Amino acid sequence: MSEDETVRRSIQLQIPLQDSDISKLKVGDHIEVSGAILCGRDAVLPKLALLLESGNGDSIPVPLVGALIFHTAVSPAGIGPTTSNKLDIEGSIPTLSKAGVKIHLGKGSLGAETVTSLKAENSVFAITPPITALFAEKMLSQRVVMYPEEGMEALYEVEVKGLPAIVAIAHGETIY
Amino acid sequence: MLNCQNICDGVSECLVKAGSSYRPDQLEAFSAAIEKETHPNARWALERLLENAQAANKNHSPLCDDTGIPHLFAEIGDEIVLPAAWLTAIHAGVAQGLRTLPGRPMAVQGNDIERVEQSKGLYDDPGEILPVPVVCKPVPGSQLSVTVLLQGGGPEIRAKTHRVFHKRSIDNVLGQSAEWMAEEVRNLGCTPAILAIGVGRSHAEASIRMLEAMSTGDLRKQSEWEQKITAIVNAEKAGALGLGGDASALGTFLNIGPLRASGIRVVCARPCCCVEPRRSTVAFSSNGSMALG
Repeated sequence: MSEDETVRRSIQLQIPLQDSDISKLKVGDHIEVSGAILCGRDAVLPKLALLLESGNGDSIPVPLVGALIFHTAVSPAGIGPTTSNKLDIEGSIPTLSKAGVKIHLGKGSLGAETVTSLKAENSVFAITPPITALFAEKMLSQRVVMYPEEGMEALYEVEVKGLPAIVAIAHGETIY
Repeated sequence: MLNCQNICDGVSECLVKAGSSYRPDQLEAFSAAIEKETHPNARWALERLLENAQAANKNHSPLCDDTGIPHLFAEIGDEIVLPAAWLTAIHAGVAQGLRTLPGRPMAVQGNDIERVEQSKGLYDDPGEILPVPVVCKPVPGSQLSVTVLLQGGGPEIRAKTHRVFHKRSIDNVLGQSAEWMAEEVRNLGCTPAILAIGVGRSHAEASIRMLEAMSTGDLRKQSEWEQKITAIVNAEKAGALGLGGDASALGTFLNIGPLRASGIRVVCARPCCCVEPRRSTVAFSSNGSMALG
């Protein structure tokens, strides 16, 4: 298969994601995700990690097993990836992966320890361009599920159809 | 006659344009980068970014959900008579523009400590995002021109203001700046970047020079050093979105100000992301006419 053909081949994924969906992904693969994804960033991801680490994961009202978490705010301006290597975001990835999150979606490189933790839980990191005007066409609905006091940084559930991304870190391999 | 409502409406329109469109030199640079790009995934990313810009421009909607912090330059003609409260009108125009775009509601509530700790939540109104104090400059003529820049958060993580021992060599000053940029662009995420660099006598002045570089730079008119800095960063092959490839940076905007007798120069360097510099300029005449550029 030529490189151009690889680009054209987008793997269609549906939430909830299965372990088998993730096992077959490779670095550089194009994916399109549909279903109810979670959106959270600096403010709420450490709070979720803390709940999980303290044994209070049951209070999270949405399933994390098979989830995709998009590192983004949700606001009238739209959605778009924030930098994933900020301490609050990258630091939450190992715990959230252990709780069943299968795809962490954002932008920027991640450290070697995070690469290892993703591999251990059969989770991947994917990236997507800041194409807010195009994402608007992929969003079907949105609702706040936790921490409404954080405003645009609350934990949101957003129904999407065909959200595009590229796998950047998978099974110990990285594009960086 | 020019009045405060003209200024408010013009600045508002200018902000919306800055946040929802690429300039002609950006469009040309993206098209040229797509043409040259040899890495298929990087080319995919560049094509999506251009498509996104076309959609945002058509809908007058944000290019990126991080609609940025407004930074403004006002050039005040020495022959223009401005209405009282003209600067207040500029601020009102910023608030109106942020509500129209719409800007992302990300202004933090509370007192000094609460704002730092983000413990009192955010304002729902994007109009609460106050602009950074307006930089004013006298110019010849009879116009007031206002340039709006919308500065996103990702590049702020990667920007740096620092002193450089110049040893009487431009290579030391700009070479070191290029090395910083090459390292930061690798981690930026939202590439291709445009590299903005200001050189000044103080940290504050270097930052303003960097902003001025962003407000006047043109990717079609690159000086020898601007081209050199871009080439050094592109040699790293970070590529669009960090996927690898040829287009880590589309160009460099460099502004060197007046300098003082000293062994150091202060450099402010910021790798602007792939939707930046988001800028637009509006010019007002004494008779109230307005031109949006």
